[in-house]
Amino acid sequence: MGQFIITIGREYGSGGHRIATILAEKFGVPMYDRNMLDQLAEKNGIASEELHKHEEMKRRGLTRTVRGFSSSVQDSIAQLQFDFIREKAESGESFVVVGRCSDDVLRNYPGMISVFICGREEEKTRRICDLYKLNKIEAKAKMLRHDKNRKAYHNYYSSMKWGDSRGYDICINSSLLGVDETAEALYVLLKNKIEQ
Amino acid sequence: MFSSIMAITIFVGMFVFIVWDKYPKHYVTLICGALTSIFVFGIGMRSFHAFEETIALGGVVKPSFWYAAGEHAEQTAGVNWATIIFLWGMMVMVEGMSEAGFFDWLCIKIAKIANFEPKRIFVSFMVLSAILAMFIDSITVILFLAAVTIRLARTLKFNPIPVIMAEIFCANLGGSATMCGDPPNIIIGTSLGYSFADFVVNTGAIALVSLVIIIVYFYFSMRNRLQDPSDKVDPSSVNMDVTISNMKEFITATVIFGIAVVLLVTHAMTGLTVAFIGVFIAALTIGAAGSKAIKLLKRVDYHTLLFFIGLFVVVGGLEQTGVLVVIAEFIAKVSGGNAYVMLAIILWVSAVASAFIDNIPFSATMIPVISSLAATTGVDLSTMAWTLAVGTDIGGSMTPIGASANVVGISTAGKEGYPISWGTYCKELVPGTLIVLAVSMVCIFVRYL
Repeated sequence: MGQFIITIGREYGSGGHRIATILAEKFGVPMYDRNMLDQLAEKNGIASEELHKHEEMKRRGLTRTVRGFSSSVQDSIAQLQFDFIREKAESGESFVVVGRCSDDVLRNYPGMISVFICGREEEKTRRICDLYKLNKIEAKAKMLRHDKNRKAYHNYYSSMKWGDSRGYDICINSSLLGVDETAEALYVLLKNKIEQ
Repeated sequence: MFSSIMAITIFVGMFVFIVWDKYPKHYVTLICGALTSIFVFGIGMRSFHAFEETIALGGVVKPSFWYAAGEHAEQTAGVNWATIIFLWGMMVMVEGMSEAGFFDWLCIKIAKIANFEPKRIFVSFMVLSAILAMFIDSITVILFLAAVTIRLARTLKFNPIPVIMAEIFCANLGGSATMCGDPPNIIIGTSLGYSFADFVVNTGAIALVSLVIIIVYFYFSMRNRLQDPSDKVDPSSVNMDVTISNMKEFITATVIFGIAVVLLVTHAMTGLTVAFIGVFIAALTIGAAGSKAIKLLKRVDYHTLLFFIGLFVVVGGLEQTGVLVVIAEFIAKVSGGNAYVMLAIILWVSAVASAFIDNIPFSATMIPVISSLAATTGVDLSTMAWTLAVGTDIGGSMTPIGASANVVGISTAGKEGYPISWGTYCKELVPGTLIVLAVSMVCIFVRYL
């Protein structure tokens, strides 16, 4: 089996992160999500919260660009994560990566398979209510806020639109089979593709 | 009236687009320059002469553009070709120095002399930043200093963020000390006919006083955040060195830099204009680079030079239509002709404006304003010029977007995993900027009034 990289884009509450975790476990490869910033924070001896609070966000506020250098912290953190993902891909390692525009950043790597997980609003809301002990109104507000940010972030740094089926190899609705069953189905599908 | 309204509209629109930062700045100024040419000079004024005067290409072929005897420096109305040509020459020289590894070598050498002790590195890099920025553009200074600071921080386990912020501040401060340190100074110097020595004696003296005060302030306010005592690394265990891969290239670049400094320091005596010095230094660098010449020329930041051309045309529109005279009259009216109030307005308005908008268009706009003020109120033009230079150069330190060095420093740190947010930046550098502005105001009042 050669190098393979599975990128998972996801709607908030769709269980995309859980699916990525299951896939990484089943394939026996590392999974990169916000933990990539933990590694960088440890290397630099700074609190990882400093990095996390700016990640997966498009640039905001008053910013300025000079000769390709941007004063935006969000731009810097995004670039930091893109470089991290690229380095991992360059090293020949197989891995699963959640979000971070990885579908776009790694588009030219032949071993990459991009997946987008969406879900029905009702199921996503229920899942968020269970996970974070919120009522439905709070859960929906949280979901809308996160999806709005993810969409803005992805569309700002990528050439393809967030959630647009033309930008992904596989798009799947996790509400159809449930999160764990979707992960299982994806595993079978991806395993066949990787072993080809 | 139509031409004045158009000139103001295009100018404001240009600023909005620059601050918006969505499109490359040089596109914005060039398009606005073209609009000024069509709507202000063409449709509004119906004056080819005004356009010709603003483009000012005729001045470039005059011998006085390249050689001005005595203390009369070059002057061009509209597009300030002297600034553009000089900046181009210095960019070529800096590319040559970077290629030769000059900056890496210098930074590591200084760190070594500081015995790899974080507090000493902190102070020495502030001084180094200020000195280098006197002769080299602050973007290059910070680009190298910030990168070396991060390397040192990882090896010596100290926090590079306070160091980088102090370096940014000192680069802006050092830039205010000389005519070639910061683009607003080059524009002021070439437009109003001041020499390198004029700047050193005036803004340089203010910068020196401010530098001493700010080093003491930063040292006491930041030293405890530099390093946890338990992280201290034994300097003898540090193995950091920069090997010069091509000694001939290195020596040549250093000599050319030395020649540039000598020519700049003596240009009032020799009569060589900054445009001449720029072209001469670029020719030396290109000649010495041999087969690498094309590579160096390609790396020059032509976007910035195009940005300047468009900008000068837009400001020329304001100048030709008399809008800037109205602004000058307004300042004179508000200050009631009082020189103290007038200088305070110029200093603080320049500083606050430069904290949020590019200080280059701001200073280019203000030069005709202060010239007009000097003519109508009798306040010495040079005093206003030094005040404008200090205000625009120092004010830029106040926010992350105020000056190019800030952006490059923040970006370099962020890309290495040391994010500097607006909050962090302003908490550290706003007090420092206010202190230096207050010190500068006192210096200006005591010395010139």
